[in-house]
Amino acid sequence: MATAEALAEKEKVQGINADYAEKFGFSDPETGYAYKAPKGLTREIVEQISEYKDEPQWMRDFRLKALEIFESKPTPKWGADLDQIDFDDIHYFVRASDKNSRDWSEVPEDIKNTFDRLGIPEAEQKFLSGVGAQYESEVVYHQVNEQLEAQGVIFTDMDTALREHEDILKEYWATVIPANDNKLAALNSAVWSGGSFVYVPKGVKVEMPLQAYFRINTENMGQFERTLIIAEEDSDVHYIEGCTAPVYSTDSLHSAVVEIIAKPGSRVRYTTVQNWSQNVFNLVTKRAIAQERATMEWVDCNLGSKVTMKYPAIYLLGEEAHGEVLSIAFAGEGQHQDAGAKIIHGAPNTTSSVFSKSISKDGGRSTYRGLLEVADGATGTRSKVVCDALLLDEKSQSDTYPTIRIGESDADMGHEATVSKVGDDMLFYLQSRGLSEEEASKMIVNGFIEPVTKELPMEYAVELNRLIELQMEGSIG
Amino acid sequence: MSNETTKIPVCPVSELEPGDRRIIEHEGEFLAVVNCNGELFGIEDRCSHDDGPLAEGDVDQEACTLECPRHGSLFDLRTGKPKTLPAYQPVKTFPVEVIDDTITLEV
Repeated sequence: MATAEALAEKEKVQGINADYAEKFGFSDPETGYAYKAPKGLTREIVEQISEYKDEPQWMRDFRLKALEIFESKPTPKWGADLDQIDFDDIHYFVRASDKNSRDWSEVPEDIKNTFDRLGIPEAEQKFLSGVGAQYESEVVYHQVNEQLEAQGVIFTDMDTALREHEDILKEYWATVIPANDNKLAALNSAVWSGGSFVYVPKGVKVEMPLQAYFRINTENMGQFERTLIIAEEDSDVHYIEGCTAPVYSTDSLHSAVVEIIAKPGSRVRYTTVQNWSQNVFNLVTKRAIAQERATMEWVDCNLGSKVTMKYPAIYLLGEEAHGEVLSIAFAGEGQHQDAGAKIIHGAPNTTSSVFSKSISKDGGRSTYRGLLEVADGATGTRSKVVCDALLLDEKSQSDTYPTIRIGESDADMGHEATVSKVGDDMLFYLQSRGLSEEEASKMIVNGFIEPVTKELPMEYAVELNRLIELQMEGSIG
Repeated sequence: MSNETTKIPVCPVSELEPGDRRIIEHEGEFLAVVNCNGELFGIEDRCSHDDGPLAEGDVDQEACTLECPRHGSLFDLRTGKPKTLPAYQPVKTFPVEVIDDTITLEV
């Protein structure tokens, strides 16, 4: 490469390394914050969170019981290394603003500027039915299309839902993911704050997506949002979440719980574009129930974070229910993406598919961990699992841990797994067509993830491709 | 398969206070009797989620449920059906009688 070109390339690569810091990795001053809990997790902190939020007694009891469960359960040893997390070195609750607005002009200026830089108000105007913006522990902005509101659609933050829709919330709360489910679900249950509550009435189709955006600003922060989506019979909704955080040298923790109930004939799609900075542990429990003829789809894109452990689950509990998981994981230097899917065929004639794509480069590690279960009595089920891993260099790693339990002899199950490397022959062929080595490599990766990106709304597909291209820069040579 | 039932004595009725449970072993299977506000329920001591023990969990007398101590599924003591995940299949329930002040499980 000519010297001038090499310099230009080097500058470009350096510029791209700075891109996360500039585009997502900036931080705001904490002046004007309403409350910041001291580090550490105690019964007093949990009681304080509940008191600040002026919660009913049942929720306070739920939190305190969950804290006991969290303290009694050991840290899981079977996945990524979680011993690096110092649970005493985390702020469990940070309230940046005293109010949750429906008008961007009422959001405190620093916070509004942050969401402007992230493009949220612009996206809201262009192609969304509703937006929630969470900054630190609580939602600072929430708005939903008036027509949808008139049709009875509820899209609000979880704290408001507990105040205004307590009956519906209580009926479904923790029925999909009990506090006792796992250690991190217990932690979330003890200190949860923010997140979205979505209720779609019978027969209502929400044409454009609802979106929530989660932003961590403080160093050593824990964000524990909780989301509950209830889709009544024959309704349809697409919910999208995105997330970013500043780049810090110390670690933060994000541990969400997402529960979804898709009632008969409904369709729920839940899309995640996870782009946390590489100092965030992202440990999330996501689970959905699909009743008769319902369709549940998880589209899960994991690009950021230091460690992600997340296995979106679908319990197909009604006849002819259908579940799909489309998953992309991108593991770069210092990252471990431990992702996957769990599908439980608990009723006859249920169908499912899992497509998982992972890309590892610069010593990154991606893991597919999946469960496919067919219950006794769930006859006539069909399922296909495909997990493909792409390794971009010798030092990167990919592992696959599929578990399959079949309780009926007529189940039609397929499992395919491939691990491939971007080989010299592929690059040589594309370079012979006039592409540079880097362009060739990007093209291979884009082709590899295309089955997932084509399922995203265009704006997100473009963004995802752009993010992956950024991750790919400088990866060759 | 035999439809014959066996009546198994569990304990004197005075020994099982409301909110308590008594676990017994019968032919290699663990079974439990739970006192829920004075009403007695027989249930297998096995969570359908992972086949581990169930009956040591918390009893909610108001809701008449038993909570799996490992992953939190709530089972309806009247029907054996799970009211929350991760369990999604019912567990067996058994009729309970008090015969001469002795709690008796019909298996």
